[in-house]
Amino acid sequence: MATDQKDFQKQFEEWKALTEKLIEKFPEKKEEFKTSSGINIDRLGHPEILDQNYMDKLGLPGQYPYTRGIQPTMYRGRTWTMRQYAGFGSAEETNRRFRYLLDQGQTGLSVAFDLPTQIGYDSDDMMAKGEVGKVGVAIDSLDDMEALLRDIPLDKVSTSMTINAPASVLLAMYIVVAEKQGVSQKEISGTIQNDILKEYIARGTYIFPPKPSMRLITDIFAYCAENVPRWNTISISGYHIREAGSTAAQELAFTIANGIAYVDAAIATGLKVDDFAPRLAFFFNGHNEFLEEVAKFRAARRIWSKIMKERYGAKKPKSLQLRFHTQVAGSTLTAQQPDNNIIRVTLQALAAVFGGTQSLHTNAKDEALALPTEDSARIALRTQQIIANESGVTDTVDPLGGSYYIEKLTDQLETYVFDYIQKIDDMGGAVSAVEQGYMQREIHQAAYETQKKIESGEEVVVGMNKYKLDDEPKPELHRIDPELQRKQIEKLEKLRSTRDQNRVSARLEELRNGAKGDHNLMPLIIDCVRDYCTVGEICGVLRDEFGEYTGI
Amino acid sequence: MKKIRVLIAKPGLDGHDRGALVVAQALRDYGMEVIYTGLRQTPQQIVAAAIQEDVDAIGLSCLSGAHNELFPEIVSLLEARQAGDIIVVGGGVIPWEDIPFLESKGIQKVFTPGTPTKDTAIYIEKAVFERDGIQKTEKEPPKKIDHIGIAVSSLEESLPFYVNQLHLKLEAIEEVASEGVKVAFIKIGESRIELLEPMSEDSPIASFIQKRGEGIHHIALADDRIDARLRELSANGVRLINETPVKGAGGANIAFLHPKSAGGVLYELCEKDTKEEA
Repeated sequence: MATDQKDFQKQFEEWKALTEKLIEKFPEKKEEFKTSSGINIDRLGHPEILDQNYMDKLGLPGQYPYTRGIQPTMYRGRTWTMRQYAGFGSAEETNRRFRYLLDQGQTGLSVAFDLPTQIGYDSDDMMAKGEVGKVGVAIDSLDDMEALLRDIPLDKVSTSMTINAPASVLLAMYIVVAEKQGVSQKEISGTIQNDILKEYIARGTYIFPPKPSMRLITDIFAYCAENVPRWNTISISGYHIREAGSTAAQELAFTIANGIAYVDAAIATGLKVDDFAPRLAFFFNGHNEFLEEVAKFRAARRIWSKIMKERYGAKKPKSLQLRFHTQVAGSTLTAQQPDNNIIRVTLQALAAVFGGTQSLHTNAKDEALALPTEDSARIALRTQQIIANESGVTDTVDPLGGSYYIEKLTDQLETYVFDYIQKIDDMGGAVSAVEQGYMQREIHQAAYETQKKIESGEEVVVGMNKYKLDDEPKPELHRIDPELQRKQIEKLEKLRSTRDQNRVSARLEELRNGAKGDHNLMPLIIDCVRDYCTVGEICGVLRDEFGEYTGI
Repeated sequence: MKKIRVLIAKPGLDGHDRGALVVAQALRDYGMEVIYTGLRQTPQQIVAAAIQEDVDAIGLSCLSGAHNELFPEIVSLLEARQAGDIIVVGGGVIPWEDIPFLESKGIQKVFTPGTPTKDTAIYIEKAVFERDGIQKTEKEPPKKIDHIGIAVSSLEESLPFYVNQLHLKLEAIEEVASEGVKVAFIKIGESRIELLEPMSEDSPIASFIQKRGEGIHHIALADDRIDARLRELSANGVRLINETPVKGAGGANIAFLHPKSAGGVLYELCEKDTKEEA
């Protein structure tokens, strides 16, 4: 045996010992894992001899370059977090759905906000017409946030919030609600999406131009590094890039390029990479092409750990680990024969599990038609529960690792991504590439190609361009109360007439002065929400100071 | 003729523009002039843009559920500004049960997810022509001769001429029970020769041979807009054997024109579903 191979053998023995020690502290779900035939299930499948090539490309789970996963025991220790994105109508209604989902065995919350909230308008703003409570819950002030989180123990439940441009405002509200529950900001855990670059690229809920937006983001990094240590301060999202029509390689490349831009911005404000990098999280799409998706997730981990180590010299293992949430692809759902969507979702979710996701949202079958009903939302959750509890795929780490095809695809995706990153670096980085519309164009081109393939029949969509039904039954759909906007406006008017208006004005003035200078805005925004300034008022002040982005 | 002008618009706060962009591009590729508003347009802005750009039609896209509020407002603003002749269509995530309401408010057509972009283009074109009282002249002629049908008494006797003398390739022999014929498909360039042998006395091919002897039976034209073509021909007084398409060999949609209207030639229009072939 060559010396380096002896070293690898030693490294492997050390990994085993470390893993055993870890298991003493955090036991696996079973003492013994066996198949139906009584065959012992290894924690990790691996080649008999670990050579340089294996260690460079795959390594051991929980170790650099993390291709096989970020923990040594993965789902044998703990299943991924089942986190269903929900939110609609009023805060009270959404609170009921949250408690229903928690009762059904969901392990984390994920809040969908309505568009006015996401774009920083109050429910009575002219721009909010028709949109209040539609795609998510309407939040105008702390009052609504308290109703949203009523009777949910914020020290136990982790909450993900899909909020970007006004992320500081909603995080501030969450902190204050927790404080009122007697839970300190040190104890709360969750994620804000806070990824503005992909809003310009693909999702569209931007407010301010890129520069001040990046400042708001780095203010959050800095504030949380010190005060909210268990909060994931950003969820760098490929999900929407893929939904907008990109390929898997583009999803990965543009997301990681955006990640690089955030790291650069944070370092430029004087933060140390190991202080904020452990709180960076990612969010990917679980799409149709099963094996490519598995390879994508594995490649993502390897690429990010290399970038953090080689480009930024990060030292902490947590800085090198790419943790990610997956949501399966909404754009692959068909309005035709919606029951078929359950099968699509199952396959997409399984790919995410083979890819080692930390949390997962499975879509409901009726989402191409409307927001999910309670029934369809439950089936979506059950889909994950069946994969986790019945399929057995969680009993061994990275079960597809070592497959010739998967490893080759993982390598090829990595090459594609580094080529794209080089191109984006040459354009001056992701912010500049976004401003030039580069990613937008690449995505649109890919989307149009896909559409043409579907229409020519080259790409088969079962039930839509092949195997069609003549008479489709019409399913029951979830409806939003049409009176909601009126009720929400009444609530807001009541709040405006009962709060301490002088304090509100004073707080907003402090925020305005802060925005003019270079103070961290987070504490000022927390003060604003505590005194019941609204999302629209806070964002209005920032709009005045920062200007608005109007697209390219 | 002047190009059709279309405004593709995103009313409300919804940021999902994949569909809007894809439809815009598809309409351009179809030959229309398309203006895209970008995101977050108020009904007022959309109507102002439509009037200023002098468009024939507006395509609205909304995936956020605000369609019931925003789409009708656009129609009524158009009417208020004497621009009610602009055709308004929409798409996005629109529940089926909202469609009658939207149609009653003047949205001419709602395209649900999965609609081929070409259908959208054809719909808009037709609506504009109808509004303007233009008889639509089919810009696109039939694509090619799909095949020539030749009536033969016996495939076995006829095939050697094609295969041995002309060196053409016999692709397949298929029985089409509904027509009572056995068909030999012979490839020639982008077209085919189809030899038709009657399987029984009452087959139309049998009576053709009885009356006129063996020989050319029909010419089939490949056409990818068979419905529109039939409507147009019928409107122009061309006699049709099939007013609407029927299923032919290989699942194609076919329809025969009457020889009385075609100088004694029996023409078949034939639209092969490429999706079925894939």
